[in-house]
Amino acid sequence: MGDNISKSLKRIGALVRKESTQVIRDRRTLVLTLVTPIMMLFLFAYAVTLTVDHLPMAVADMSMDTRSQAFIDALTVSGFFDVAMHVQNETEVIQAIDEGKVRVGVVIPPDFAAQVERGEAQALIIIDGSDSFTVQSGYSAAIAIAQSQSIELLMEKAARLGAAGLGTLPVESPPIETATRVLYNPNMDGMVFAVPAIAAMLLQFVAINLTAMSVVREYEWGTIEQLLITPIRPIELMIAKIVPNIVVTVVDTALIVLTGIYWFGVPFRGDPWLFIWLSLLFVVSGLGLGLLISTITRSQNEAQQIAFVLLLLAVLLTGFIYPMEPMPAGVRFVGNLIPLTYFNRIVRGVFTKGIGLTFLWQDVVVLAIYGLVVIVGAAMMFRKRLD
Amino acid sequence: MLQRIWAVMQKEFIQTIRARRTLIILLLLPIIQLFLFGYAINMNIEHVPMAVADQSLDAASHAYVDALVTSGFFDVAIYVPDQARAMAAIDAGQAKAAVIIPPDFGEQVERGTAQALFLVDGADLFTALSAYNAASTIAQAHATEIVMERVQRAGLITGNAENLMPLDGRVRILYNPNLDDLWFLIPGLVAMLLQTQTIALTASSVVRERETGTIEQILVTPIRPTELMLGKIAPHLLIAIINMLTIIGAGVFWFGVPFQGNFWLFCWLSFMYAFSGLGLGLLVSTVSQNQKQSQQLIATLLMIAVVLCGFIFPRYTMPWTIRLVGNLFPLTYFMPIARGIITKGLGMHYFWEEVAALAVYVVVIVFVAARAFRQQLD
Repeated sequence: MGDNISKSLKRIGALVRKESTQVIRDRRTLVLTLVTPIMMLFLFAYAVTLTVDHLPMAVADMSMDTRSQAFIDALTVSGFFDVAMHVQNETEVIQAIDEGKVRVGVVIPPDFAAQVERGEAQALIIIDGSDSFTVQSGYSAAIAIAQSQSIELLMEKAARLGAAGLGTLPVESPPIETATRVLYNPNMDGMVFAVPAIAAMLLQFVAINLTAMSVVREYEWGTIEQLLITPIRPIELMIAKIVPNIVVTVVDTALIVLTGIYWFGVPFRGDPWLFIWLSLLFVVSGLGLGLLISTITRSQNEAQQIAFVLLLLAVLLTGFIYPMEPMPAGVRFVGNLIPLTYFNRIVRGVFTKGIGLTFLWQDVVVLAIYGLVVIVGAAMMFRKRLD
Repeated sequence: MLQRIWAVMQKEFIQTIRARRTLIILLLLPIIQLFLFGYAINMNIEHVPMAVADQSLDAASHAYVDALVTSGFFDVAIYVPDQARAMAAIDAGQAKAAVIIPPDFGEQVERGTAQALFLVDGADLFTALSAYNAASTIAQAHATEIVMERVQRAGLITGNAENLMPLDGRVRILYNPNLDDLWFLIPGLVAMLLQTQTIALTASSVVRERETGTIEQILVTPIRPTELMLGKIAPHLLIAIINMLTIIGAGVFWFGVPFQGNFWLFCWLSFMYAFSGLGLGLLVSTVSQNQKQSQQLIATLLMIAVVLCGFIFPRYTMPWTIRLVGNLFPLTYFMPIARGIITKGLGMHYFWEEVAALAVYVVVIVFVAARAFRQQLD
């Protein structure tokens, strides 16, 4: 028994040497693997926006009185909208949005002040609906600003009419003040969201890419024959293919996380050792998934296509950008087939929230089982194809 | 010359059709993606699970919590006694938001000094954003209601409460009035797939010939590099166009996404756009030694293109250096074109700048790729 294990380890060791030599010899791939994640982290961290403000706005003020000025001021002072151009009427506002010169337009009808006095003023805010982020931020900002203007006007009016009837109501402040606090990221700093999520995504990307071609390539090159005449077993082959790549991905992880912490200043709240162990687990499951792809495809081309799709799915379905809760069960199921889903929660938990295993053990267990299943699955598929 | 190109084309078509499994994957994947994303992406987040710590339990606090729940944005997931427990619930992931209402809320509202605390899980990007926006809006609306009620009670202004608001801000959303997520998605997905597949297929078909050594056989024929290139890209162009048509077809006829603009204009521009992918793919193939390298290079390029092109994150908020990097990818030019035609229904004169940029890009990239390709073969 012990003899068997030591023999098996010896075979794995020999193959690990072969794979490592291959990894190191393919200098370009190695450099790409180490450099691109850092490059992408920089690009993405600066590109990813959370709150869209300073939306360029076209103003069609047909009133030009103090009330209309006050309303436009309220929109710009909020920081959400910048006046980019003044136009004559609604048609021209829509024209400007069509042309892409502005994202938002506000149309104020003639006689605005008088209408406000009578309580029947209507301002129209038009938003470019072709861009989802713009709509999200612009819509709620516009409504909130219009409403707060309205309250202000109402209070002012009430005060003018004689505040006596209002009793103790202070006319300058609304009756309920709601303070909103964002946990873990009080300043809504984009980097705090983006860096851990991007780190997780990049690790997934690197891991799948590293192994997706490793087995199918041996078929295409014909070198598989050479492997088959050795006493190596399928599972041992799979393990040997993963080991050198673990080293590469661990270096990648360290680079990304350290850049995130020291360059972007993202606080790391949890236990670093826990994070390292769980990243290792995640990386192994990703490498295993790549391996599985590699054993079920017939050509490198096919493996590549599947790896692409998987990455796109990983970006959109694992909670990296879009939350998983509102997705229908079927789609969530597909998301659950990708290890990034579990690791996203782990990264957010350990990195951003600073919570430990007591909250995360389920994801950790699933990830461990996942890794085991894909690696054994890859070995089984490999054996099946050999027969 | 045409004869030689035709010969290569025939060879490539036969190769493409022979690799039956790859072909099926190529044609089916876009549709599968469309369906997954079509049902998956939901930008309007509702029913965020919320923990409620109501330390007052009076009419005013109930009204406030009711306002949050009836909005549809928040669901009460759990009742907790205090702020510490509310935070623990968010830590544990039981709730994504929490509202803490202090004791004596009713009286404070009467005095106008009431303060409620709203906590949002800041670890999840979209939830945090939506919950934050929704909470502020709802709280304000609720406060407005209370003011109106009081003003009315005081008899200062008579009439229907709805008519009391001195200023009515109406918001209209152009192009996508119901904020249907698929309307956002389809143009981006088409643009992305046309790019992904053309780059990947072209690169791998050239690199593979080199890897398997069959490139030698081609080189001994009288074919010239440019002719070889043209012949090689033909089947990939066809696959890309078929995929574009299936996605748009499924989008329009299955998901009911309106195609607002001129369909033929879109076809011609996509055709031109596809060439940019073919050129890029060829360029990648000349700098890669094996398929693994080319795959990594392409995956990297595509990832960057997808994030920087404005499909998910708007470009006008990016710093200019990042925008500049985005300008290196044809996807960046095609995104506004696709949105312009499909979603907005606009004509050429609205986005001629992007079309011109794309045209220049295509000419340059194909020229550079052809040169690099020729040099490599010599």
